[in-house]
Amino acid sequence: MHKEGKKTVITMLVLTVLILISMYISLTYGVFELTIRDVFRTIFRIETNADFELVIFDFRLPRIVIAALVGLGLGIAGAVIQGITRNGLADSGILGINAGAGAAIVIFMFFFQDQVQGSGWLSVMIMPIFGLIGGLIASLFIFFFSWKNGTFDTGRLILTGIAIGSGFGALSMYISLKMKASDFEMATVWVSGSIYNANWIYIASMLPWLLILIPIIYKKAYLLDLFQLEDISTKSLGIAVEKEKSILLLASIGLVSACVSVSGSIGFIGLMAPHIARQLVGINHRHVLPVCGAIGMLLVVVSDFIAKNVFAPAELPVGIVISILGVPYFLFLLVKSRA
Amino acid sequence: MKTTNGLARIILFTAPIIIVSVIFLSIAYGAKGITLATIWEAFTAYNEEDVNHAIIMTSRLPRVLSALLVGAFLAISGAIMQGMTRNYLASPSIMGVTDGSAFVITICMVFMPELPSISMILFSMLGSAIGAGIVYGFGSLIKGGLSPVRLAIIGTVIGTFLSSMSAAIASYFQVSQNVSFWYNAKLHQADPDVFLMALPFGLVGLILAIIVANGITILSLGEEVSVTLGQRTRMVKVLSMLSVICLTGTAVALVGKIGFVGLIVPHITRFLVGVDYKVLIPCAGIIGGVFLALCDILSRFVNAPFETPIGVITSLIGVPFFLYLIRTRGGGRHA
Repeated sequence: MHKEGKKTVITMLVLTVLILISMYISLTYGVFELTIRDVFRTIFRIETNADFELVIFDFRLPRIVIAALVGLGLGIAGAVIQGITRNGLADSGILGINAGAGAAIVIFMFFFQDQVQGSGWLSVMIMPIFGLIGGLIASLFIFFFSWKNGTFDTGRLILTGIAIGSGFGALSMYISLKMKASDFEMATVWVSGSIYNANWIYIASMLPWLLILIPIIYKKAYLLDLFQLEDISTKSLGIAVEKEKSILLLASIGLVSACVSVSGSIGFIGLMAPHIARQLVGINHRHVLPVCGAIGMLLVVVSDFIAKNVFAPAELPVGIVISILGVPYFLFLLVKSRA
Repeated sequence: MKTTNGLARIILFTAPIIIVSVIFLSIAYGAKGITLATIWEAFTAYNEEDVNHAIIMTSRLPRVLSALLVGAFLAISGAIMQGMTRNYLASPSIMGVTDGSAFVITICMVFMPELPSISMILFSMLGSAIGAGIVYGFGSLIKGGLSPVRLAIIGTVIGTFLSSMSAAIASYFQVSQNVSFWYNAKLHQADPDVFLMALPFGLVGLILAIIVANGITILSLGEEVSVTLGQRTRMVKVLSMLSVICLTGTAVALVGKIGFVGLIVPHITRFLVGVDYKVLIPCAGIIGGVFLALCDILSRFVNAPFETPIGVITSLIGVPFFLYLIRTRGGGRHA
């Protein structure tokens, strides 16, 4: 146990350094070059330069922070979902939870945007709640359709997710076509997973969700270890399996919804992060969860950097970069799992 | 068996009437209503000056004909794939065939923008072959990878990969707009010239499909049965694959990606007329064509006066059906 803890600490340190490096590169590199001196001077208010301030505080920093937070949320939610379903291929994107949350948010944009226009803050803050409702509906559907004879069949779970995902995708597309041209543009960019219109309000809207839900999940992390046993054994330990599973699942859907409401549908993070984390620190969820969050952060920050700069001045939605990276990994897992 | 064949006969004999009435319906309804008399006139005494006649000949007629053909092509490819692989989830859009085709078309638009339509169709077929090849390659690489569920998962994931790659390439070379033109079902812009050019390729696919129909019926009973009966299994498989590639490639070149037609129509047809592919393939073609043409008409009404992409309509109908299939069939291995 002690050795494992040490390993986790080292892994976390390495990851933190990597994250900081990638944030630093992301902050300084771009169309407008900055030196590290400029960055420090601007952030710590030693010397103020209007151009630097604009680039750092309005363009680059919010984007990096959002990328990091989204990665954190999706990574941890992925670990929880894989833990609960005992399915290494489960991921909120593949299971259609992202698409459900996305559709709900598109509906929200369509129906309520005008009514809450004056209060931009308010509408951005309640978007995650709508996302949560959509995510919940999607997961209810998934559970309803894939639960048969008292068990979840791995394949059926994922296929149902794919079907639900494409259904909600079609719904979002239909609704977004009914929107005004300007809203439509925003909705389509957003649905394909993009964080380029990041600002501090979005960060404020997702932060509370992360701050509340991640500690709850972490507190229950030991349960995720127990869930790896057969349900009957877990029950015999005196644990209310169904109840605890529901709480954990709700929490992870909440996390996913908060992320989706800010960044659109970004898939595969919740798939990749837990696998990498388990490779690094073993299967104890108390260790896996933080590492997972850190890996998620790193992945999204780096992917966003790629999306932003590789094809400059054109910009790719970060979701596309992540699926190009994620699909080969998914196939690799599929090959390995059967070998 | 007798009754189902009776049903098949009804479908085949009433087909011309149904198809003609769908054509009339589709021409008559739209942003601009056109009376039946005008349609008749446009066919019998075409007048270039008349706006209505021009609309009919250059826009509405190519559109409904494309819908009929593409629906038929997709449904037949789906039927062939399902029979050949004995996989109830096999269909062009789930198996990455359409994404492969769209991917190659993207590359063509970037590197060879001046390519004439006819080569586009050929490249689209090449793309279908590549998409199918990758998916089946992985399927056979992975143990149990050819089971319905696994193959569908692999197909979907590879489809995601190919379409992400196309999106990335398109935005790098800044041709997103032209490319999204191919991607998203563009039935309403069906081009009469491309239509005429695509026709022969589609016909080759259709003829191949009918030639191999008997072979597929036997193959759908299982590979062992097929071999014991003295069938040249490999030959049948190669011809079926060629037919699928021709049909899907042409369909994508004509109107872009349209999902679910190739999945649901074969199931409905099998339910109606049984599993004799000699009957099933033509019936699937008719039902598929009519289904897509009706979806196309629906797409003009759902959000009038704007058009709804036909992919949205087919998904809205297809997803519940897909769920139903997964629910009732599960991961079992049966065509």
